[in-house]
Amino acid sequence: MVEKSKWDMKKRVVVSGLGMVTPLGVGKDEFCQRLFGGECGIGEIKAFDTKDFTSHLGAEVTNFSPRDFISVKNLRRMDKISPMAVAAARLALEDAKIQVTVENRDRIGIILGTAFGATDVTLQFAENLLAQGPAAVNPILVPNTVMNAPAGHASIELGFRGVNTTVTHYAVSAEIAISYAAAEIRRGTADFILAGGVDILSKFYYESLARFHALSPAGGGTEGSMPFDETRNGFVAGEGCGIVCLESMESVKQRGSDYYCEIKGFGLGSSICGPTQWPRESAGVEKAVTRALKNSEVTAAEIDAVYAAANGGKDLDAAEAQAYEKLFTENRNKPSITAIKGALGESFSGGGLRACALALSIKEKLLPPTVGLIKPAFPLKYVISEQRKVNIKNALLSGISFGGTYACLVFSGRGD
Amino acid sequence: MKERKRIVVTGMGTINAVAGNVADFKQALQDGICGIGPLDLFDTREFRTKNGGQIKDFSPRDYIPSQYSLKRMSRADQLSFSAVLEALRDAGLYPLPMELQEEMGVAIGGGSGGLFEAENFYGNLLNKGASRSRFSALSSIYCASSADRIASSFGLAGPKTTFMTACSAGGTALGYARDLIVSNHASIMLAGGVEPMCRITYAAFNALQSVEPDVCRPFDRDRAGLSLGEAAAIMVLEPLGEALARGAKIYAEILGYGISCDSFHMTAPDEKASGAVRSMQAALKDADLSLDDIDYINAHGTATPVNDLTETKAIKEVFGRRAYKIPVSSTKSMHAHTLGAAGALEGIVSVLALQNGFIPPTINYSKQDPQCDLDYVTEGARKANLRAVLSNSFAFGGNNTTVIFGKYSERGARNG
Repeated sequence: MVEKSKWDMKKRVVVSGLGMVTPLGVGKDEFCQRLFGGECGIGEIKAFDTKDFTSHLGAEVTNFSPRDFISVKNLRRMDKISPMAVAAARLALEDAKIQVTVENRDRIGIILGTAFGATDVTLQFAENLLAQGPAAVNPILVPNTVMNAPAGHASIELGFRGVNTTVTHYAVSAEIAISYAAAEIRRGTADFILAGGVDILSKFYYESLARFHALSPAGGGTEGSMPFDETRNGFVAGEGCGIVCLESMESVKQRGSDYYCEIKGFGLGSSICGPTQWPRESAGVEKAVTRALKNSEVTAAEIDAVYAAANGGKDLDAAEAQAYEKLFTENRNKPSITAIKGALGESFSGGGLRACALALSIKEKLLPPTVGLIKPAFPLKYVISEQRKVNIKNALLSGISFGGTYACLVFSGRGD
Repeated sequence: MKERKRIVVTGMGTINAVAGNVADFKQALQDGICGIGPLDLFDTREFRTKNGGQIKDFSPRDYIPSQYSLKRMSRADQLSFSAVLEALRDAGLYPLPMELQEEMGVAIGGGSGGLFEAENFYGNLLNKGASRSRFSALSSIYCASSADRIASSFGLAGPKTTFMTACSAGGTALGYARDLIVSNHASIMLAGGVEPMCRITYAAFNALQSVEPDVCRPFDRDRAGLSLGEAAAIMVLEPLGEALARGAKIYAEILGYGISCDSFHMTAPDEKASGAVRSMQAALKDADLSLDDIDYINAHGTATPVNDLTETKAIKEVFGRRAYKIPVSSTKSMHAHTLGAAGALEGIVSVLALQNGFIPPTINYSKQDPQCDLDYVTEGARKANLRAVLSNSFAFGGNNTTVIFGKYSERGARNG
């Protein structure tokens, strides 16, 4: 009748596949080559006119052809955001060498993070309603206004029917999604879970950020993404989707497949913060990192690398840097710190892309440079102008959001 | 393997169309009160339907003391905050002791978030242009805002997240929060959901033609759609040991939950009911219960023709012949469909039923549907000694969540 549940908190969880649609290319090969080569994905926005705004740069996804990944029939029902998620999900499954079959489809799931969802569709629907009244609204738009649409479309296109949920908590949406997925693998509710994040640039979204004075060059200076730099003046908005495929160590070995790294554990937390403010103090970051280390049974001294949340924001970068100064005092060879939002911008659910990049870092023993960082504002061991060879045993993926929310994960190497 | 930590409900708070607190809600459920009627929150003249489950004359200051600022709080923020205050008071945790704040977190199932207020903003943007719009109005438009407000106001430093899986988000938040405590990521959680009534959401459901013009009639032969509602519903969850140690009142235990995905269609349920079957089975497995242990099913029961038929089929498939012996009711006939809050609100219904020994009725029922032939408790509330209650939430995007609550008894809830 009903099977017994197998919850094993110590179950080892691995990353066995990566899928991404990014400003630096689609799929891991192109992304890896360009990111680690120090390319910058930021440029003048092409998708809409920015002449009325004080900011003009963005990290846009270009050269992405949804038809390469999605059936024409299903694509017709999608907007801009869902195809990115569906394509990344497909790529992650392929990379993990998993085929969805009638036998395994109920054991494959997706937990996706999105900070803002389809802001373009919601505005279009609202405009429609306001201008022409309820009788004129277009029902076709409705399914895509919900934030769980990308994960729903992915399940329909790819045919998996297991655990499926969507997390939205601003800039930590993806980190929370990945941590939940790792926990679900341990709880035994699925054999494979795709986890990550997706967000898109729309004119409305871009303008909203600009009007909040969140975008570079807030307060003047040169526009650009300059994480941890003295001249940083706000972030550059980005978009994209990064998805990792998680499964248990036992499962990946049993099917004789390869994996990138292990997810040892995670730590979550909050701090008192205004609704749209980035944290100004380091305590929240320290707490989440400390919890992640404890949960992973790894010490601060054993951390070799950090994928920082820093995005070029005045407050965020300072709070994060201060936390690392305090946390890594014991390490004689302090961890190498890289902030890839310098190349990819702030896409809020970009934790998915950073998780993919970190998995590649561990496998390739290589850290990508922090594009945009020239004059460090804080005394940390950054990866600055070029990639660095590092044999990573343990690394931190740090997620920090405005509103005071934190989610940090520990990714560990294979020990070879 | 060590025995899994048992997680209990020690406080509850709600505000919905039939009641402004838990005590009144219990009475309304026993009396079969219908909270569905003409809306006055916005002008319904242009709509095909005029009814809904609105919280009438909601005045936040009746619920929220003056030390908490209401500045830029959305209706969703205000409703959830009100429910949190009641839940904390109910749990004997108000004012919240400092030592609990550190590892206390919040998980909210969100829905329309600040869309009620956003409509004014959108209207202004559309008519007067961006330069004459106050973008600060957007600071609480997204549904993550409610959890941020709660955590910051009470100084919570534990995990914080928001789920956005439409109509199953509240149930998922409860399950996720339980997991965080079991796996030591938090020591106590506020978990639930919130959904504000708003014109944009009302228009969306109207566009899909899934709204009943009169009052919804779950499982009735002439059912013609759902009634939209609004609510906030919050629970305090903590480990049994800690609850006993501080002498807390124990309402019930969360025994398990399950999530599945239809992978079928964005807005229509799979008529084969496979997704609903799998989410109930996953919850039973997690709870380690047999089919005979379930004494009442709080149905999703939206009163759309297809949902109620599909859910009935699913219950029969899961429970076999026992399906006819288990009372199944849809309390949406009273409090309406509260979307993102539904799983949490109906969680409170389930807990009240267990604690007070009654089965709430399905009201507005008059004509039997030969295809919906279970015991839908249509003759008013019924006294019953319940051991375990299963509560279903199915959503757009094919996201299904089932949560199972058990009566708390000292010797253990498993075998009652």
